This record gives sequence, structure tokens and C-alpha cells, in this order.
Amino acid sequence: MKNSYYEFFCPVKVIAGKAALEHIPYELTGLAAKRPMIVTDKGVRAAGLLEPVISACEESGLDIVTIYDDVPPDSSVAVVRDIAGIYRSAKCDSIIAVGGGSAIDTAKAVNILVSEGGDDISVYVGAGVLKRPLKPFFVVPTTAGTGSEVTAVAVISDPQKSVKLPFTSSFLLPNAAIIDPRMTLTLPPHITAATAMDALTHATEAFTCMAKNPLSDAYATSAIKKVSTSLLTVMNTPKDADARLELAQASTMAGIAFSNSMVGLVHALGHATGALCHLPHGLCMSVYLPYVLEYNLETIRGPLGELLLYLDGPDAYAATPAARRAEASISAIRRLRDALYKHCKLPRTLKETGKISESQLDSIAALALDDGSIMFNPKEVTLADAKAVLKRAWA
Amino acid sequence: MLARRIKPMALQARRLYVELMFQVMGRALQAVSEVDSDVQAEAQSLPLGFLFEMMVMPNGSKLIIEHLGDGRFEYHGDSAPRPIDLSIQFKHVAHAFLVLSFQEKTSVAFANDRMLVDGDISYAIRMTRILNRLEAFILPRLIASRAVKEYPANLNLPEKVLSAARIYLKVANHFVDTVRA
Repeated sequence: MKNSYYEFFCPVKVIAGKAALEHIPYELTGLAAKRPMIVTDKGVRAAGLLEPVISACEESGLDIVTIYDDVPPDSSVAVVRDIAGIYRSAKCDSIIAVGGGSAIDTAKAVNILVSEGGDDISVYVGAGVLKRPLKPFFVVPTTAGTGSEVTAVAVISDPQKSVKLPFTSSFLLPNAAIIDPRMTLTLPPHITAATAMDALTHATEAFTCMAKNPLSDAYATSAIKKVSTSLLTVMNTPKDADARLELAQASTMAGIAFSNSMVGLVHALGHATGALCHLPHGLCMSVYLPYVLEYNLETIRGPLGELLLYLDGPDAYAATPAARRAEASISAIRRLRDALYKHCKLPRTLKETGKISESQLDSIAALALDDGSIMFNPKEVTLADAKAVLKRAWA
Repeated sequence: MLARRIKPMALQARRLYVELMFQVMGRALQAVSEVDSDVQAEAQSLPLGFLFEMMVMPNGSKLIIEHLGDGRFEYHGDSAPRPIDLSIQFKHVAHAFLVLSFQEKTSVAFANDRMLVDGDISYAIRMTRILNRLEAFILPRLIASRAVKEYPANLNLPEKVLSAARIYLKVANHFVDTVRA
């Protein structure tokens, strides 16, 4: 499965650890930015997560010029246009995204408009359209899972045309990602579990799919180790800032891994399930991961076996015969899912989600076959294969 | 000294090979859409008049086909009647040669960032499946296995030989028609 050629790119400055937020003013000043705008959502504001960001800036004499806190879960071209208008009228010169995937993607799209001009974000859709750096842009993630702070992609919906517009460019990457444990301390157990499983899936697919490479492997294995050693600690003691930081770093590292080596069938099925049944992405990842690994098993036996060291520790790795390590890795992931089910009822099967009917499985399989991620799955997936995986994941 | 003389000739030969393979593949795509129901089923969901291009960046060889409806393709050579809907672009002729000489699978070329997709990614996935199906038909199994991610298990020898013969016959006829025109 080794590639004789690969590309790896991540120019994002990662600022991680205790009091990381307090580095924002210095970093902004370094980019000659003095009038930042915050882009976030109502949930983040209600959880009180903006206060530490604002006070960190104000203490250094840097005022947040304006705050947009109404980003919806599925952001649209109209929202992007509105925020760009506010940015311009307030004469801002930089953007700080505080939130999860939607707030970050929205801020990336806003940055395109305010840097390149115009009100119609759809003009910039596709890959390679942007040709120069955008305005200074920082990301403060408030979930530990999506990895959006280190991915060069944004997806914005166009409700009038009923399509999702993808934007891909290395210029979308933020100048800095600020990983501060304070931002995830109050994340509810269910979301903590689902987003961590999202990160685990990013790392596992990055390590086992076709575009794996030595650099993304290093990030992926480190991310898997952090999730497998810290997730249950966080579930037991949610206020453990050290363990929270481990999960947040795992998410960023998994994001760096998968944005350089792509993902596979778990994501293809997850994207299709999200589109048709509106299930949260992290939950889909958690449900599908072991079933897809079982499906891919014979093509990924080597790398999957290696992951046992990071999933279950050196003792379990040493005690397991080499020929059984791949299966043991899947078992370790299943045990983690069982523990999460015990903690917060995170579903392990599609049936347990209670939001999908068995009659939808064929539509999910058909849609998954056209998903871009399927190209990088190590095994060629037919419609019958996708249906079989879904059937196993059903109950 | 000899090596310095041979190298430009080898590069020219590589360019010509890629150009020839694009011409064969374009005609073969039209032919396979006329003989194989699986390809027709895949292509049916493409919009009517959909224009697909495969090319070498920046202005190298290319093939252009159009979806005429009912899963049927028409080969347009290297000139498009309208703006292209989906373009798969090799970054360099060397990368196109790797794929078209079956040294690198199409899926591996994507994974290795040899190619860019300009257009709807779901259509690109569909077109890749069609290209894989074509290669499974027209290449000997040993070579086809090097070109596609997984050789189709349900493709038996009589079906392969019969379909390949019909595709090659159509490709040859198309070449003759082009020369006559």
C-alpha cells in the first residue's frame, strides 16, 4: 500500500495549550491586523466561549470590532454575503472564527469575499480559483473532531439551487489555529464522544487509505494514540483540561493527516447518510468505522495491524500475534464504542440512532458510490458492497 | 552523446503515445457506451449534452466526449462544441504516460495528486468507473489488473472477448471514417 510519491502541505501555525488564546493579539499584530471580526454561532456565545477570546484581546489593547454570532448549522451563500457586508461596513481587517465546522467554513468563505471582492461567493466555487493570499484569518475550534482548522476546504449551501458549493484552495487555510482547552471544557458528553470518534476516523482512514504517506502516518498514529488514551478520561472527568487538550490536539493532528492523505468509504457512507438522513457527521463516523474496516480488512491488514499499538497500547500489541493484530484493532475500536454507549448512549448501529429506516439503506448506498472519498478507499466498492456494509451496520 | 540525441526522441515518442492513447480511448468510450449495459447505466445519470474532457496540462493532448442521452457517448476529438462540464487534467505529460501505459492505476494517480478535477466530483467518480470498466474489457486481464483498482470479479472470459472484439471493431471503423472524412 506504500506510495512511491506523495505530497504533504500544512502551513497553519498551530498555537496549542494553556493560555493559547492570549497569543491571539500578538499573532494578529504580527500580520499587521488591528481590527478583527469574530464569526461564531449562538451556541458558542451562549456557552460563554467568546468571553475568554474577547478578554484575551482586550487585555492587550486589541478591540474586537464586530461579532457575527448567527451562523446556522448549514451555512448558506446569503449568510456569507451578509457577514461580508458587516465586515466591510465595520472596516475590519481580519477574521477570527470561533466554533465548529459550520462557523469555520463560513468564515473561510467570508474571507474569500472580503479579500477578492464581490457579493456572490458562487463565483469562487471549485478548486484552484484563488490565486493569492487572503486576509489574516485565525481559527479557534470549540469542538475536537472536525479538523476544519487545518483543511483547505469550505462547503457552503445554496438553498435556491439546492446544491452544496465546495471551495478548495490552500489560501483558505488559516494563518493560525488556536487550540485552547478552555474552549472544549463544557462540550456535552454526547458531542465530545461523537466528535472524538470523528477524529479517530479521520486518522484511521488517513492511515489505511490509498493516499497514505509517511508524514500523514506520523500525524495519524499520534492522533489515534491521543484519542484512545484520553477520550474515556474526558468522559469520566469532563473538566480534565489536560485530557481535553489531548483530544483537541488529536483532532488537529487527524485533520492534518486526512487533509494530506484523504479518507475512504467510512466518509463516503457518512456524507451520504448526513445528506439523506441528517445524522450528525461524527455519529455516522462512529457507527460505520468498524464495519468498513472489516470490509476493507484483507487489503489493509498490514497498516490496520500496526494501529493496534496506538489503539490498545504496547502490552496488547506485544501479546497479540502479528496475524491477529488487524482484527484486534477492530475489536479495540468496538470496545471504545461500547464504552461510549455506556457513557452517553452514542449509537453503535444505524438502528440505535432511531433516525433511519431500513428502507433508506439502498438510497444511502447509491449516493455513497458518487462521493469523492470513495476514490481513495483501498478496495473498489460496488453498489452491492456498499449495501452489504450498510446492512451489517444496521443492527 | 548518443543518450543526448535519444532523449528528445524518447520525449517526443512519449507525447505521441499519449496523444494516440487519447484518440483510442475517446473512440473506445463511444464504443463501450454502445455495447455495454453497465456503462450505459453509469452514464445515464450524466446530464444530456454533458461534455467530458481528459487532458494534459497546460495545452497538451486531450479527448472530449459528449453524453448524447440514454448512456451513449460521442467522441469529439480534441475540440469541444461548448464549454466543458467536467475536466480531468494530468499535471504533466509524464503523469499521463504513467497512467496510459498502465504503470499507475487511475485511482493511484488521483491519490498521488497527478491529476486535477475541474467540475462536479461525483461525475468524475462516475467517469472513472466507466474508464475502469472500459479498461477491464479491452485490456488483457494481466494488464487490466495494473490499470484498475480491482478487476471486476463478475466479468467472465466469453463476455470480455466478445465485448472487446465489438469495441475494437467500432474503434477501427471510427478511425477509418475519420481518415476518409
